[in-house]
Amino acid sequence: MKIVIDGKVCEAERGEYLLTVARREGIHIPTLCHNDALPGLASCRLCIVEVVEKGWHKVVTSCVYPVSAEIEVFTASEKILRMRKTLIMLLAARAPENETIGKLMQEYGLEKPDRFKKENSSDCILCGLCASACEKIGAGAISTVHRGVTKKIATPFDDPAADCIGCAACASICPTGAIKVQDKSGTRQIWNKTFELLICPDCGKPVVTREQAEYLRKQMQGNPIEYSGDGTVRCERCKKASAADRFRTAFS
Amino acid sequence: MTLSSGMQHRSPDRVAVTGRILEGYPKEQRYTLAMLQDIQKEFQFIPRESMELIADYLELPLSKIYSLATFYKALSLRPKGKHVIKICDGTACHIRSSQMLANELYTLLKIRPGETTEDGQFSIEMVNCLGACAIAPVIVIDETFYGKVTPAKLQEIIAQYGDAFGQSDRSGGVAHE
Ligand code: SF4
Ligand code: FES
Ligand code: FES
Repeated sequence: MKIVIDGKVCEAERGEYLLTVARREGIHIPTLCHNDALPGLASCRLCIVEVVEKGWHKVVTSCVYPVSAEIEVFTASEKILRMRKTLIMLLAARAPENETIGKLMQEYGLEKPDRFKKENSSDCILCGLCASACEKIGAGAISTVHRGVTKKIATPFDDPAADCIGCAACASICPTGAIKVQDKSGTRQIWNKTFELLICPDCGKPVVTREQAEYLRKQMQGNPIEYSGDGTVRCERCKKASAADRFRTAFS
Repeated sequence: MTLSSGMQHRSPDRVAVTGRILEGYPKEQRYTLAMLQDIQKEFQFIPRESMELIADYLELPLSKIYSLATFYKALSLRPKGKHVIKICDGTACHIRSSQMLANELYTLLKIRPGETTEDGQFSIEMVNCLGACAIAPVIVIDETFYGKVTPAKLQEIIAQYGDAFGQSDRSGGVAHE
């Protein structure tokens, strides 16, 4: 079906999310809590757009709004911009020192709020992406804990995460970089737990944590990770290089 | 105060009782809350081992159960008292000095809202409007409502509940969430 986004006629499948359609057409809608690989959380609200259907206007979160009719969409109407600014200011009240939020404020010409004290600030905007990613991976080591003003992302009982495999997917997916991972001298620290990093025997770069390698092995029931002798693992690049080498020798 | 770590030994009683509760439910995630409610009723709180048992039973990560258990006000992670005293702090009760009742309870029981007496007899909670504003200020003990409570009356009411003033050193409450 055809829909119109910011004046541009776009082809969309019934049930497709508005954000997906817009992105495919190269129309920018800001998002924080969206990731293509995970179900929509609709928690940051930044992706709001105005939808006009049979003359009725409504504001929807485009990341979870399925297209079902021939609608007209405005991603940056006056109303949307006003609302989005408010949303950014609310996020800024929570994470005033955060870089991602800072950039958004700049982009929308907003001033840093000075009403809020720094002590209570955090980088986490509680979008829930990290917990969703962790669950998808199958570890489920972290979740949202408590509610209201004391809500946070944590491991059960704030203990060193028993179920954590040290993959750091949470940290890499986090839109605001709120999760601390520390990789140094062959170990990784995350969620209060220290992991051993397996080193690529060829280039010497850390590849994955031992727990992560074990986990993947169990998951795939085969041996997708190339272990050599003492349980070391090759990184992707060296794996490719060694495959290419073998290929060369085989055919030359 | 931190909760004990995973290395603690489990209480055999709690494990057995929790096991019996879980057996009553099919292994489906949608019963998690019902299980937690039963456990809260049984122990007046959700022991860690019960959460671990639910996670095993439903084959879910512990984080899921913990998330739920910390979300609902009706569930608590620390033991609540045998008798739960709710002080209404809704607008009407607030104006009619609910705070004075909290203060009086502190003199009587030496605990503040959110805490439990050391002998495990009482805990106090501040709650929002209970829908009985006409008889403000209101307190509820277990399921019983008391209206137009004054500090003097409060002493009589509390005395009805067990050996409330039996011992003189009801010092130092234990906070619960
Ligand atoms: S840590 Fe990052 S990904 Fe997780 S909830 Fe907070 S902002 Fe979202
Ligand atoms: S991206 Fe849609 S609500 Fe966050
Ligand atoms: S304010 Fe206490 S019952 Fe309504």
